[in-house]
Amino acid sequence: MPPRIRGSSCQPQLLLNYLEPAPSSLTPSLTIAPRHRPATSSAPLPCGRSFSTTPAPQVTRLRRRFNEWVEGSGEQFKEPRYGETNYISRTVNFSDFRPVSPDQPFPNNPNFRSERVLSEKAREMIWQAIMVKGMPLKAVSAQFHVDMRRVAAVVRMKEIEKKWQRENKPLALPYARAVMGMLPTADLSEGEKPFEPINDIHVHSYTMQQLFVPTSESREFTRADAAKAFGERILPPDAKMRIPELVQMERNIAAGMPPREATATFIREAAESEKAFADRQHSRAKATEERTLRVQTDRFEFRIEKINSEDVGPTGRARKAVGWRYGVPHMDRRRGEVKIPTRVE
Amino acid sequence: MRQRRLLRFHGLKRPRVRQTWNKYNLFNLLRLRTPILQSKTLFQQKWVAKSLTRGYHGEHIKEYQWERMFSRRPLSAVNMDPAYMAKHDGSEQAAGRGSGRKVRLGSKYSGPKNQGNLDAPTPYMQMIFAPMERRLDIAIFRALFASSARQARQFVLHGFVTVNGKKMTYPGYLLNPGDMFQVDIERVMAATGRPKRGDRNQKASTTAEESEPAEAEEVEEGEASEEATTSEAAAEPVDAEAAKEKHLATLNHLKEQARKIMLVKDRFNRAKKKKALRKYLKDLKETMDRSRKLRNQSVAEMDEAERELTAILSNLALSSAEQAPEGKRQQQQKDKESAELKAGLQAATGGTVSGSTATSLGLLTNTQRAVLKWVIRNELENPHDPSKPYATPWRPREFMAPFAFIPRYLEVNQRICAAVYLRHPVARPGLSEVPTPFSPMLSQLAFNWYLRRG
Repeated sequence: MPPRIRGSSCQPQLLLNYLEPAPSSLTPSLTIAPRHRPATSSAPLPCGRSFSTTPAPQVTRLRRRFNEWVEGSGEQFKEPRYGETNYISRTVNFSDFRPVSPDQPFPNNPNFRSERVLSEKAREMIWQAIMVKGMPLKAVSAQFHVDMRRVAAVVRMKEIEKKWQRENKPLALPYARAVMGMLPTADLSEGEKPFEPINDIHVHSYTMQQLFVPTSESREFTRADAAKAFGERILPPDAKMRIPELVQMERNIAAGMPPREATATFIREAAESEKAFADRQHSRAKATEERTLRVQTDRFEFRIEKINSEDVGPTGRARKAVGWRYGVPHMDRRRGEVKIPTRVE
Repeated sequence: MRQRRLLRFHGLKRPRVRQTWNKYNLFNLLRLRTPILQSKTLFQQKWVAKSLTRGYHGEHIKEYQWERMFSRRPLSAVNMDPAYMAKHDGSEQAAGRGSGRKVRLGSKYSGPKNQGNLDAPTPYMQMIFAPMERRLDIAIFRALFASSARQARQFVLHGFVTVNGKKMTYPGYLLNPGDMFQVDIERVMAATGRPKRGDRNQKASTTAEESEPAEAEEVEEGEASEEATTSEAAAEPVDAEAAKEKHLATLNHLKEQARKIMLVKDRFNRAKKKKALRKYLKDLKETMDRSRKLRNQSVAEMDEAERELTAILSNLALSSAEQAPEGKRQQQQKDKESAELKAGLQAATGGTVSGSTATSLGLLTNTQRAVLKWVIRNELENPHDPSKPYATPWRPREFMAPFAFIPRYLEVNQRICAAVYLRHPVARPGLSEVPTPFSPMLSQLAFNWYLRRG
């Protein structure tokens, strides 16, 4: 770095003054202060660019437009409008034939909408229904029109939140309040439109083809027949329903059962099916526990299970086979082999 | 090479929409139009589409990695209406000549129908980057815990993220349905809050306080900064000591409230009240100094002090002119969360202060109570704290709201900064769950690009 002249914030200007004898006799004497002198003698001039005599870069047209936008119409996006969304689609209008919905965060993509999220009140309500009232998941899901998996997730995270509250761990309350103010929210109150579809079934790729199946005119060709036509192992939608008890309830109502009684039956059936599921899980875990022998040491817990060394498949390379096998390379030592875990228990 | 690419990350000349909340990015997003492709060959069209879409979706991921992730079979789902399922077995769709009975012209009834789906084609082509949304870093960005996907990636690498309660340091971890990920709260607050920019704001507020306080807002700011200098409180309540600390902060705040009232209402207050208030302020100061020195002040005594001050405050009876701006502010901030107010108070104070304020608040009028409650709650939840790496009191960063949305495949609890990856993103009739800023036409071209190699 070349030596610097201390003492002023705008040296090139002063340097120029020094080199070209200025009309006023005062300026040169002030310019170059000796190095040891303190810098107090010369007052700083309003110039921020030391040692550069090149002109400042011109603001490009694009940058100027950006600056105009930030100070002009972009100003409205700076702050959230608490209680409603603030997406740019509000201001975009391509044409009268292509309307842009205000809940579209991306004006070019009409297929993606910012959908409602559960409000704090709604989450608390779901937690109450499950943990305090002890309602079955399926019943809560059907009552509030919230997906079963979401209900489970809400309860799971609410439990952690309550635990933190008990432990006096700080929560991100200002953040939560701000984010909830920016998002469209659902309170799950009466009369609100359903939160999300709860009876989703996955579209199997086998069923995405077009088939021509000749049948007799008199035959009742049902959903089950259609599934069979697509493939031997394709399940009909009735078997894929997440809450089949709901269909049963509708059948009961169609058969003339009073709605109140049908709902009660539905809740009972849902509780039974959930209990059966829990029992199955429990017995499976118990069976695994009985199979394994746990040996606790200082550092590790060894879990020993019996295996069959013959169980290696027809080629001897089955993935479940245990131990080193002749002719099967250890791929995990190969360069670039991905070792990211695939699941976390 | 990477450095050079990053130089124009948010360039205006060759704009690329990125996964960030940057204001330049917002400007580029606003200008984003489907490019004119008629004059280009099919290869060029696909190339343009691919490069634009990849600039947004996981631009920090290498192309060969993405090519391995790409799936040519996007997932989709259909809602099956239980009422329809109960009434019909599907044979009515094959009735008549094989494609259902024709509806008579002009009749309102259009035959049995599966309700709950939009009447639009399923946008499969908008689902190309669905496998990318499974990545942990991108899911963190989608849950609004980081201001960009790259920042989310850094959080993971630096060990601030847990998956199912265990630390996960691989940003490329593919979430499984049901996985819960959690990000360190402080990191989230720093990422989504306003940055600290010198002490410009503080200076402005202190000058505001020195001059005659004209607006309530300014006074509020000034008192916040002053409070920071006077009290060393605002720590997490972990034990009784911390609870006392919180008490001190509350007392401090009440004191400031009283002072503010005195300043504003100077001319209208009767001398007697003023005198009482001044005396009380002095007493309060003494109490606080003593407790700060001794550190063995009883909680009950502090409660007493608070109660007394609130009683005096209620006697002063704010005029309607003064109430108006405060009431408005409170309406804005408080909106509909009055239910969780108490929970928040309890969370912040550990129960003790909330109980005392609740009893003492009984002395005030409704508006005063609401204002005081709001002020105290805000102060407890969102205190001024110079030790934080972000501007305090915490506020969301600028230009955040246009990017704030949470896709349906995530369920987020913002209070603990945790989210559950419920399922893989799916396309439904008329809707796709992958947040992509590009038009269906462009996405389709990009899909075709990857089909060639996929």
